[in-house]
Amino acid sequence: MDAALKRRLEARFGDRLTAPVYQRHDETEIRIGPGDVPDVCRTLHDDADFRFILLADVAGVDTGEVMQVVYHLWSDTSPDWLRVVADGLSRDDPRVPSITFLWQGAEWMEREAYDMFGITFEGNRDLRRIYMPPDYQSFPLRKDFFLPDDAARSPGAGVRHMEQSHTPRNARPGETMRKVRA
Amino acid sequence: MTAVARSWSRLTLAGKILFTVVPILLVLTAGLLLVIVVAGKPIVDFLAANMWLVRFVIAATAVLLMSVPSAFLIIYMEMKVIALMNLRIGPDRVGPFGSLLSVVHGLKVLMKEDFSPTGADRLVFTLAPVVVYMSAVMSLLVLPFAPRIFGADFNIGLLYLFGIGGLTVVGLLMGGWSSFNKYSLLGGLRSAAQVISYEIPLTLSVVGLLILAGTMSLNQLSINQSGWFTNWYVFQQPLGALIFFIAATAEANRTPFDLTEADSEIVAGFATEYSGMRFGFFFFAEYVNVFVVSGLIVTLFFGGWNAPFAWPEAWAIHLNLDLGSLGMGLLFGLLLVPPILILALAAPFYVGRSSLPWWQALIIGFVLFNLLVIVLIGGWAFISLDWVAGLLWFLLKSYIFVFIFVWMRGTLPRVRIDQLMGFAWKWLLPASLLNLFVTALAVIVISPR
Amino acid sequence: MTAAPPRGHLHQEPPSDDPRVQLDEAAGVFEPVPPYPPRTEREAEFYTLGDGEMFINMGPQHPSTHGVLRIVLKLDGENVVDLDPVLGYLHRGVEKLCENADYHHSIAYLDPLEYIASLFCEWPGVLAFEKLLDVQVPRRAEYIRVLCTELNRILSHSMFIGWMALDLGGLTPILYGLIERDEIAEMLAALTGQRLLYNYLRIGGVNGDINHEFMSRLGDWMSRATTQIEANTTLLNENEIFVRRMRGLGKMDKETAFRMAMTGPNLRASGVPLDFRRAHPYSVFPELEFDIPTREEGDCLARYLVRIDEIKQSLRIIDQCIHNMPDGPVTAKLPRLLRPRPGRAYAAVEGPRGQYAAYVISDGTDQPFRMRIHDPSFVHLQAVGVLMPGHLIADAMAVMASLDPIMGGVDK
Repeated sequence: MDAALKRRLEARFGDRLTAPVYQRHDETEIRIGPGDVPDVCRTLHDDADFRFILLADVAGVDTGEVMQVVYHLWSDTSPDWLRVVADGLSRDDPRVPSITFLWQGAEWMEREAYDMFGITFEGNRDLRRIYMPPDYQSFPLRKDFFLPDDAARSPGAGVRHMEQSHTPRNARPGETMRKVRA
Repeated sequence: MTAVARSWSRLTLAGKILFTVVPILLVLTAGLLLVIVVAGKPIVDFLAANMWLVRFVIAATAVLLMSVPSAFLIIYMEMKVIALMNLRIGPDRVGPFGSLLSVVHGLKVLMKEDFSPTGADRLVFTLAPVVVYMSAVMSLLVLPFAPRIFGADFNIGLLYLFGIGGLTVVGLLMGGWSSFNKYSLLGGLRSAAQVISYEIPLTLSVVGLLILAGTMSLNQLSINQSGWFTNWYVFQQPLGALIFFIAATAEANRTPFDLTEADSEIVAGFATEYSGMRFGFFFFAEYVNVFVVSGLIVTLFFGGWNAPFAWPEAWAIHLNLDLGSLGMGLLFGLLLVPPILILALAAPFYVGRSSLPWWQALIIGFVLFNLLVIVLIGGWAFISLDWVAGLLWFLLKSYIFVFIFVWMRGTLPRVRIDQLMGFAWKWLLPASLLNLFVTALAVIVISPR
Repeated sequence: MTAAPPRGHLHQEPPSDDPRVQLDEAAGVFEPVPPYPPRTEREAEFYTLGDGEMFINMGPQHPSTHGVLRIVLKLDGENVVDLDPVLGYLHRGVEKLCENADYHHSIAYLDPLEYIASLFCEWPGVLAFEKLLDVQVPRRAEYIRVLCTELNRILSHSMFIGWMALDLGGLTPILYGLIERDEIAEMLAALTGQRLLYNYLRIGGVNGDINHEFMSRLGDWMSRATTQIEANTTLLNENEIFVRRMRGLGKMDKETAFRMAMTGPNLRASGVPLDFRRAHPYSVFPELEFDIPTREEGDCLARYLVRIDEIKQSLRIIDQCIHNMPDGPVTAKLPRLLRPRPGRAYAAVEGPRGQYAAYVISDGTDQPFRMRIHDPSFVHLQAVGVLMPGHLIADAMAVMASLDPIMGGVDK
């Protein structure tokens, strides 16, 4: 709960934040639009009173309504973790500029987000699947991922499945999808 | 099912063995007798006229037969010694203390499927292990095991050895290239570079020794080192001995220079695509090489077959037995003495332990009898016959060096290829040249001719 | 000559007019080149050969990759020009599995991520759940958590020493490392019931108190631990060959380390004294006294020595835990059916490889909505692509071993 950090963030990025700065326990969260990601991250990285030089995590999130990309940063100027949520990516064609120009180590984390959600990181020089085979059709961690459907379209089609997915066989993906306001 | 098949399937296992082996033996015996009767004399005459052929065949057979058991022993030793250094147990199931493991490995290797990978050059692929193994075995020809026990005494024996050692490179390259596999290629090239680089310090480090000894014959070198151990050439050429030891480790592809088979980098190097008896040949060749290299170090620098002290002639027990004078007594002696001794040795066990069945006591007696005979005759031979003593001293010293090689394998990590080459060319080569110059200078100064 | 594999609708013929693209099917060569056109510019750049270069595939089965990792190396003789790691051979979909499981059950899914350091994989998940549920963990449970995780850290580092030496060719240190691992595994088996995947941490505490057997084994081991570790490491530290091969290799300076998002001993070996136990304290670490070993050089030797120093610091921490262990319960009282408030929580711990973290989104039901697991080995393996080129294959193996990846964590 770093109030000073909240003030600095609001002062610096006030106009770009799409939601109030949210703090709980030892985390501070800001939400920005996807287009603001390079500028905000560069400011957080370079600026003397932020100095968030350690990238802790890059995660993709599918809330059921929109997609998000969540960055976690750490700095020695603040006792809090900073969470930057790039909110409001559409579920049909999620696109976010890549931050590999700042942290090359984000390359694989962005690849994983692409592999699992289909989020395209513009500027990542190597955006291909990292876990799933290269000819895999779906994006597994999406909320509308429907395993038998995917298996029917993949090269192993026609194999009888022993497991039942939680979604009933004849359900249309949109109806039983989990949603959250997060 | 035919009558033959039915009868065959009714036989027990012992019956089957009997019915297969006995006819074959009969046929072979009959054939041999026939050959002897018909063409015996011409064959014997031919051989008598060409004794060199007989000697060669006997020497080659002996050398081939000798290499396999020594490889077995060194393989077992390596596994057991490295295991004990790693604080584990190693082989201990097959045979007492796992000593039959090598035999089992040999059998297993014989029973594997014989294939060559797609795209491999069949002929070269098959010949590569042969070349490597043969070069290792041919080196055994000139090693002097004892005063009159050696394959051939060339007066350029050392040069012959270095030449044959170079043949190993050809074999490794053949194996690496013909496997159609990039790992093998890398391994083969690494090994070629390594062996070629280390041949120069190897040869140069011995030249100082040659200047001192004046001969390249290994037999003569061993004779020169007779007497007290201060005669050994290691005290006259310490730097040469050290360089030779290091270069020989590299020649034999042993740790820390075992990049050719570095299994944490390039799986198995040149031998990646080999399995079965072909791999067995590579495997055996490596260990025969270890023995050859140890034998060479011992011969050149550590006295060969000589004991560390001067073997006094007075110790020899000359048994002037005239066995012919015993006549029939000899036959009676041979027939009666062993059983009496066996019974005499078994009796204390049978009497002392009431739970021991009589046949177990007899077996113990038999074993003890054998041990007694070996100790008596062996001890007499060791003391009196110079060739037995020489053989045993040579083997003891060689196996001490084999143990040192195995010790290094268990302890040291391996060097990198560029560090290896740098070491050979930048350190060992100048050091061996220095050794050579200092020796030559010393010879000129001390005893000018 | 084997027939070409059947081509489905996805596999297109690569442009065959480019002579530098290796697809030498006619010769029967199996080149590790993907049978489809390159998907990105980086893939295209990698899979075109320059003059005198060749591909070698260090496949998923290899004695020296730390698990199932496939690396396609582009070599110029023995020099590594470039490399392309291919992951996914151990991908189990842990994040998706956790979404379909209870909060309690998902802890068991977190174990096999980094199977050597499994308590560190459970811990951030448990911490994140506790943040969402606002659970207060009893002090005794916190001390037990620190105790068993520090033991796990020593186990992981002992194995690291062994693997490091094994990749360089020394056959003995791995067995010494296994002796250490075995003793600690027996200890933790007395405590948790398992030797490898402990499944010991629970939301609000741990699963069961310390028992007599654990304490006796621990005391017995602690009395010999320092000398034993000293003996294990002197074999390597004073070995000229070992030191010469590791010194100056894979140098990573501070800027590169931050750029590659490194954490843990890899970062501390480059001169950055960042340890989340001190920088962002959690659990009872503010009360414990220990140092943060840091080295300046940033080469493989520094990474190796930093981990040895960390073992010694862990021994100090264990000592303090044993002496200061408070009494009390070992779990907080929680209902069986957990429904945390909707929200987000992020928790990170300092593990033997770096920062293990979990980002949990809860939607008010009894299953996590999103369970994001951050694993240090995944991030560090990218550094291999930055540090390896320019070195020989043998060095490449040494560099990868010194970064200490565990493929379970890389592949999740």
